[in-house]
Amino acid sequence: MTDGDYDYLIKLLALGDSGVGKTTFLYRYTDNKFNPKFITTVGIDFREKRVVYTASNPNGATTGKTFKVHLQLWDTAGQERFRSLTTAFFRDAMGFLLMFDLTSQQSFLNVRNWMSQLQANAYCENPDIVLIGNKADLADQREVQEKQAKELADKYGIPYFETSAATGVEVDKAVITLLDLVMKRMEQCVDKPPAEPANGNGATKLGEAQPNEKKCAC
Amino acid sequence: MVKDTMPEAADMINLGFLSDSERELILEVLQRDEDIRQAEEHRVRSMKTELLDMKRKGAKRGSGRYSQRSCGRCQEPLSRLTVFSSQCKICNHHVCRNCRTALPEGSWLCSVCAKESDLKKMTGDWFYDQRVNRFSTTPGHDLVRVSLKKKPQVNKRETTGEMLLRSTEINPDLPIPIPRVRQKNQIADNKGHSKENSASIASRESFESKEEVWSKPTRSDTESAENDSISSRKTDTESGHVTPQQQRRENCSAPCSPSGSTVSSLTTLVKADIASVVSGTSEANTAPEITTESPGPEIEVDRLFKKSIKRAPKPSEFVSTLDLRDERDERDERDEHDTSGASMGNRSRSVPGLDVQEDGEEEEDIDSLVSFHKRTMASSSFSLNSSKSTLGSLMSIYSEAGDFDSVEVSGDLIFSMSYNEPSQSLNVFIKECHGLAFGDASGQLSHPYVKCYLLPDKSRQSKRKTSIKRNTVNPVYKETLKYSVSRSQLATRSMLISVWHHGRFSRNAFLGEVEIPLDTRDLDSPHEDRVALMAKLASPVPASAFAQYKGELMISLKYVTSKKPTTEKIKGKKVVIEGGGELHVLIKEAKNLMAMKPGGTSDSFVKGYLFPTKAKTTKRKTPVVKKNLNPHYDHTFVYKELPLEQLEEMCLELTVWDREAMLSNEFLGGVRLSSGRGTVKIGKAEVEMDSVGEEVSVWEKVMKYPDSWAEGTLPLRSTMVKGK
Repeated sequence: MTDGDYDYLIKLLALGDSGVGKTTFLYRYTDNKFNPKFITTVGIDFREKRVVYTASNPNGATTGKTFKVHLQLWDTAGQERFRSLTTAFFRDAMGFLLMFDLTSQQSFLNVRNWMSQLQANAYCENPDIVLIGNKADLADQREVQEKQAKELADKYGIPYFETSAATGVEVDKAVITLLDLVMKRMEQCVDKPPAEPANGNGATKLGEAQPNEKKCAC
Repeated sequence: MVKDTMPEAADMINLGFLSDSERELILEVLQRDEDIRQAEEHRVRSMKTELLDMKRKGAKRGSGRYSQRSCGRCQEPLSRLTVFSSQCKICNHHVCRNCRTALPEGSWLCSVCAKESDLKKMTGDWFYDQRVNRFSTTPGHDLVRVSLKKKPQVNKRETTGEMLLRSTEINPDLPIPIPRVRQKNQIADNKGHSKENSASIASRESFESKEEVWSKPTRSDTESAENDSISSRKTDTESGHVTPQQQRRENCSAPCSPSGSTVSSLTTLVKADIASVVSGTSEANTAPEITTESPGPEIEVDRLFKKSIKRAPKPSEFVSTLDLRDERDERDERDEHDTSGASMGNRSRSVPGLDVQEDGEEEEDIDSLVSFHKRTMASSSFSLNSSKSTLGSLMSIYSEAGDFDSVEVSGDLIFSMSYNEPSQSLNVFIKECHGLAFGDASGQLSHPYVKCYLLPDKSRQSKRKTSIKRNTVNPVYKETLKYSVSRSQLATRSMLISVWHHGRFSRNAFLGEVEIPLDTRDLDSPHEDRVALMAKLASPVPASAFAQYKGELMISLKYVTSKKPTTEKIKGKKVVIEGGGELHVLIKEAKNLMAMKPGGTSDSFVKGYLFPTKAKTTKRKTPVVKKNLNPHYDHTFVYKELPLEQLEEMCLELTVWDREAMLSNEFLGGVRLSSGRGTVKIGKAEVEMDSVGEEVSVWEKVMKYPDSWAEGTLPLRSTMVKGK
């Protein structure tokens, strides 16, 4: 099913409370379909998608170079009982889709917890993350205001998107933005290795908002 | 080894809560993931083969004894003008325009370095490199697999067949633990059964484990091809030691070594070798039998077993394996039999100390696979014959004792040495030898050649050889062996010149050697010297790990007493704050490191371990400081949740390495900090804390004065092997 005909294998992972729509979000992204039924994810799962990535140089201008990227999108169970399993997969992902439900204040409040889970379990302290408020189509049930969420995202220095797996709005953009962040970090890591700041000192700063800058920490 | 390949108990996820159907669902997912990983591994492997190919074409190698006037890649002459602007900023080779690859921002790299950096991205190494500093490298899915496996294993009494059947149903990829006893029987069986044996290995291969085995592709690995050659080489070298009886075993295991074709040809070589050699050399005798080993706990058996199947052939590896062998000069291959040769180069890099060898350099991004395979080899021979591998590797590094015939040393050597300032090279002119001993006892033959090492570097990089003169005990060489090395380096080094009989079908024989210290020698006026050849020193192991000056390491340590949960409390509830403070280890700088790279530099980094290791790995690494023999790291390792009292029983090991892309890293020296009393558990072994001098005093200062820095300038040990 998977041939090796791609240039990069990029692994992303979706996380967030149970029922925020991680699975449907990914299903929308990979198959452009919507399944309104709620089927709880057992532990972990993943979906795949092949995309073409256009490289841009540091100034932002595209270099015209395109790459085939094979995306492996890990889906995790939001339920607490699978927590030990799902967090173990954090370390294998290069970027994260941190999702909450715009119609659930609680799921938004839990973003902070997920954030610290990530910082503790991801491959580095400040991995690439996008914050996603899902179910934007359910405007009448909305509990989380855009401003609120945006502020939180800014505090963490990560992009924020309001998406709807039902309508597909902003879904692609959110994933592509994350991919772009990951690819940029990769370039940075490899191309200027001399400026290697410390990462392995084990002094994990849990739960603190990361500064806006995203340095390569390799 | 356990530490790296098996997730530790604390790391293991308890999946007992899963129902069977859930477990199956998850295994299905993991199976799909597996497919992806396999495709990925395949892709990575072919890319690496490509890179190797490119590298091979570039004729200039580490030795650096080439003119700056020719392109480091294609060897075309460079014009006078371009020499100044033609240096690749990574490898420092001067390369022509055709061998450059432009980078987006306008600069350029030589084709090989550009490819290397591309590979780092495309293989995902950039990611795995980073992760290394945070975790033991066992990826998440591996943890889960191990945990999932735990349950089915409850019934220990199952037969292999039963287990195989059931495990296949549950998860076709789970390796089937086969008790070691059985494996031994297979191996001890005679050749007639080897077919069956290989068949069973082949079938096991299809069950190739997702666990340790797959920690390979998921981990960073820009390097697969090279390892293969290394592991096949090892087979080669080891075969050199075997008695006919052992050879049978070797033959039986041949099918599971990484490349069938190579191995089989090697086996022939070995046979020829053995035919002409008296069996039962001391080496062979010391190699203990496997049979006495009692099977450990099943996990252990399982692990060992899986280790041995990791040699399962992958068709794509054949090419690269062969390539590499071609790359080495012909003589090297035969030279294997003098142990000190290329084979030693490989091993010596990985084995500055036993424990260090075990986890090797597996996580060094680009080198990871090399050492991964090294571990694989080590452990596969381990499963066959545990102590032999240890013995073998020790021998080849610390002595040349072992696999060569010895004869009464006689005769002398005429040579001269001079330093060539313009080309920054040390020239060793080997003129001739007189009255050598006969290397081949039976035929009264000698085919002597001369070999040099610029000590203390006994790796392949430092080896130079003359041609072989046939049928003479008075060979005339008149050959110059060159070393590119800065003059300042020479003071701490010495030249080991040895003479060997090249045994075409038999082993090489040692004909004598002489070691010339370079600090006292006048290298400006080349005068001929006539020196009598000597036998090897009785004890080749240096009297002390400090006998050789390897430079110094400046560090500063502080124990920070816990300031109680002030900050931590606010953060997520998941954060468990235990009693105990933190140990901060500031790696400031190193001085006078040994140069390992052309141009007299090293790209070094420091790696730290705190023993005994707790749940999480205690491995820490600094970034690499390039091209500097006096590197400033200014990097802090933090070990958390550490009660002060515990330090008394702990041991901090810091080792300095030269990072060698595409090869395994080279050990530059190390220190061991502890109270200097008692033993510590490293891996499975109780090891004496042999810290001395400042290693002890710094450690005691840390314990005595918490919250203040204890500084130390520690001499680097030349080996981390524990006391005599």
